[in-house]
Amino acid sequence: MSAGGGAERPLPASLLAADRAVLDRFGARILERIEAFGELTYCVAPGDWTEVLSFLKDSPEGAFDQLDCLLGDHLPEREDRPLAVVVHLVSHAHGHRLRVKTALAEGQGLPTLTGLWPSAGFDEREAWEMFGILFEGHPDLRRLLTTDDFEGHPLRKDFPLQGTVGGRIRIDLRGKI
Amino acid sequence: MDCSLGNIAGRGSQEEAFDEPLGGPVRFPGGIAMPVQLEKVLGFGRSFSFWPLLFGLACCAIEMMALGGPRFDMSRFGMEAMRASPRQADGMIIAGWCSIKMAPRVVRLYEQIPDPKWVLAMGSCAISGNIWDTYHVVQGIDSLIPVDVYVPGCPPRPEALWEGLEMIRERIKQSRHAYDGLRRIPAREALAQATASSVPPAVPLEVPLVEVPRS
Repeated sequence: MSAGGGAERPLPASLLAADRAVLDRFGARILERIEAFGELTYCVAPGDWTEVLSFLKDSPEGAFDQLDCLLGDHLPEREDRPLAVVVHLVSHAHGHRLRVKTALAEGQGLPTLTGLWPSAGFDEREAWEMFGILFEGHPDLRRLLTTDDFEGHPLRKDFPLQGTVGGRIRIDLRGKI
Repeated sequence: MDCSLGNIAGRGSQEEAFDEPLGGPVRFPGGIAMPVQLEKVLGFGRSFSFWPLLFGLACCAIEMMALGGPRFDMSRFGMEAMRASPRQADGMIIAGWCSIKMAPRVVRLYEQIPDPKWVLAMGSCAISGNIWDTYHVVQGIDSLIPVDVYVPGCPPRPEALWEGLEMIRERIKQSRHAYDGLRRIPAREALAQATASSVPPAVPLEVPLVEVPRS
């Protein structure tokens, strides 16, 4: 292996231990396991979302105590499940990281992670606002970065890139100044 | 009036200073009137201590900081005292693009600066929105507040901002403001609407937890 790493770069030993624990516990419920550039990615079904992630947080091999970020994604070419959610986990105890993905159909909800990592609150608000992904059980699913009266989900691929689309640029300062 | 003040103002001889049309006195609430000539003296004093609001919106603020730093050093011109409170500021430099979410805050900061005040729109985004003709950017800050000087560039170099501040200085000396010629100040008009109309907003502020149908 070259010093610069690459696709063959091995996983850290602690992450391999966590990987074994997850595969022992869930087996085929881990739909896809991608290993590249010294990083590990799991793809799980939305129904296993909370169970897998809580196992990753609570198992001593994983010990992922921080939710680094939670992202939405829109893949319109994937017609049956155009939406995706990705979480990046960090373990400060072991110093390793992990990525977990799931694919969602249009309008399909996903259980919230705010019970596991409270920091998921803002990330899920943003993912809902930008992609329209519903997080069931979220305590405060309001818009975060756009105004309260904004319509639509602007990071979807079919959202118009340019212009005062549908009157979305409205400067209505009533009650705000 | 003390004629020697006219000389201090660099307006030439006493005779020339008095040859200029005086106009009507400036009236303040409470019945106090101020001759225009004295207003010029005040403007002269103000022009050498223009304190902008310590306020940056985006990357143009980096160039604004460069102007405040030792290389360009706007403290040479009495403009280094960036006030963190709008109550102490003489104006604001809109440095960067303003999102629609940020717009009410910008307007509130502008309204909190005591009169007289001057506004400099720095960079293409503050002037026109630049390439961000999108869902979230105010297309020109002058749709919200009156702007005195526009400094184009992406971002403008510190020298360009300096030139803009010199133009602000000229306007201060002449006691001219962007809101002088306006029949309405957009933000103030919105404020008047808010107080005058009892009609609730067309869109409720709380967004319901449903998928918004796309048109």
